[in-house]
Amino acid sequence: MTDTKRPREPFAPWDRRSLPGLFDVEETAERIGHYKWVEMKLFEALGGWVATVPELDVKLRLGTHCYHHAWHADLFDKRLPELREMKTERLTVPANDQLVAFFEAMTEPEDATMTIEKLVGVYRVLIPHKIAAYTYHRNATSEITDMPTVRILDFILQDEFNDWREGEMLIQSMIETEAEVERAMNHQLKLEKLMLAAGGIAGPGSIGDPYVEMPEEN
Amino acid sequence: MRKIFPAEELARDARFIRQTNEQRLSDPRGTRVAGGNASEQLAKLTPGLANGPDRARALMHGIFVGEIQALEGAGRTCWDFEVGEDVPFELKLDMARQCWDEARHCEISVSLADHMGTELGEFAENGLLYEAACNPDPVLRLTGVNRALEGLAIDVFNTMKEFGNLAGDPVLEFCEDWMLADEVTHVKMGSDWLRRLTENDKERLEKALEFQKVVDRLFSFNGFRGEDDDSPIQLTRRFRELAGFSDDEIDEIADMSREARAEAPS
Amino acid sequence: MPEVSVTPESFEMVFYDSAVIGEVVAEVAERLGIDEAISLEIDEQSPLGRSKITSYDPIELWVDGGALENTQRPRQFGKARSRDTIGRLLIRIMDRRSGRFDDAPADEDLDLNQFAAWDAHCVGRLERLGIGGQQKRRQYQFRNRHGFTDVADAAFTQLWDSSELSWTEIERISEECRTS
Ligand SMILES: [Fe+2]
Ligand SMILES: [Fe+2]
Repeated sequence: MTDTKRPREPFAPWDRRSLPGLFDVEETAERIGHYKWVEMKLFEALGGWVATVPELDVKLRLGTHCYHHAWHADLFDKRLPELREMKTERLTVPANDQLVAFFEAMTEPEDATMTIEKLVGVYRVLIPHKIAAYTYHRNATSEITDMPTVRILDFILQDEFNDWREGEMLIQSMIETEAEVERAMNHQLKLEKLMLAAGGIAGPGSIGDPYVEMPEEN
Repeated sequence: MRKIFPAEELARDARFIRQTNEQRLSDPRGTRVAGGNASEQLAKLTPGLANGPDRARALMHGIFVGEIQALEGAGRTCWDFEVGEDVPFELKLDMARQCWDEARHCEISVSLADHMGTELGEFAENGLLYEAACNPDPVLRLTGVNRALEGLAIDVFNTMKEFGNLAGDPVLEFCEDWMLADEVTHVKMGSDWLRRLTENDKERLEKALEFQKVVDRLFSFNGFRGEDDDSPIQLTRRFRELAGFSDDEIDEIADMSREARAEAPS
Repeated sequence: MPEVSVTPESFEMVFYDSAVIGEVVAEVAERLGIDEAISLEIDEQSPLGRSKITSYDPIELWVDGGALENTQRPRQFGKARSRDTIGRLLIRIMDRRSGRFDDAPADEDLDLNQFAAWDAHCVGRLERLGIGGQQKRRQYQFRNRHGFTDVADAAFTQLWDSSELSWTEIERISEECRTS
């Protein structure tokens, strides 16, 4: 049951237009390291799956999207030294073990009959979470001091939206029976729970915290 | 998903029929090459041959399935190896880029096949190309795939581009020219990574070059790719030089083709 | 059903069955209204796709084994491919016997352009009879001989769609787009 009395901020956490950035240099570098790790795991999986999906259109889209995420990883990798991290691999790490578990579950399907599961993991779970985290970061960081990151995220988000739409359409085109609807939903459910445990692609706080501490009653 | 995905399990829809290597090699009539056959008298693939258009059509189908396997192979290289432990990050970025290129090549080949009146799956597919992409050593894999097979692709695309030019087919010539540009880039990737990853490891370099030779030889049946005027597929010196091949290396491939040709059953 | 004799009777290099081949030839002949003996010689050693008429009367045909092969399954017999190969040969025999081709050069004197034009006309008619087809394949061959132009495409359509053109008409259509 939703608690309707629980107060929220008048401005959502990602709407920070007139405020200075939320992240300092160190925190920005850490988040970008997590993003890079996610992009790498994603492009590797998409590349690996190409050989395992029999649907020709899906095969070609996965091959194309594989490069998009590799390019994102490269953009993040190049940003890290500008944030005082010269050994970029030091920060190229998952936000937590739960995120590792998420990726293990997402990349588990291999069988040629499991294209729906493969697509659902990427396009209904991971990419929406990436869009959320990147949007939060883009809107919450300072557009003056951290504009290079904003610019990178803007390019990346454009890819993410396009790829999400293509992936979602592939899923819709592949679901033809109620049983397949259930397969898609069950897999999404399983992965969403793992993502919940991870707290998002950059860990807890991936999209900020929308709730307010209740002041003690006088 | 496993590391190293076996060639026999490559996922295809019902249109595609795989020919095993045993089936291919046990055909007493000779091995099929370049949309023709080894038992056929060698002739450069041109529109002037009575069966020229049909051979080009069959070859285009071969190119199409080759592009699918090249895409699958580059994709597997993204997945099969760990950054830091096995390969540098930048190598994987190159492989992801190659995935995108090969996906576009599939799209181009599908459209060209349609242009030439070929249906998808009309001809048997063999998994030879992808098999080279299963080598567990990333250096050997890149050398076998990007230098040997993509090198062959340069020769094939250049021959097809000339075919389009001679036939006055603007679509074929245009597309092959673009694909050729990408393949030169892929071969160059192979040449660059081979040099960088074996800088201090002569033994690995030799092993990789040996593997490249094995793959080159596999695709040299009957000497169908060579420098002679009547070689069906012409060895392309200029583009191979751009892609990081030395003169000696090109000479060696030409010699290999001549040997294969001399050994071919007449 | 016309009587068909197939040589050889058994095959060593390919997995063909002469009885099945005979049935396919008879079926195509029947659909074309040919009711006379046909002999077919197959060179099983050749995987190429050549075919020719060695005698118009009596009907004697010669083909490479590859002209009857299933392109998806090398060495296996391909029914659709065989119908196309045999159909093209038989309809050419019918053309030559019709009186409309009396001024046509002998087969061995035809050049690649002339063959491509006649083929387009043959295969178009075969397709309407439910034998063979592959219109785009024939169009590609035609374009290779007559140019990748709108004029050549219009000529191809005319050849494909027409029924019973004379040799003179086929020649005229072919020549017009070659000179344009
Ligand atoms: Fe390619
Ligand atoms: Fe390539």
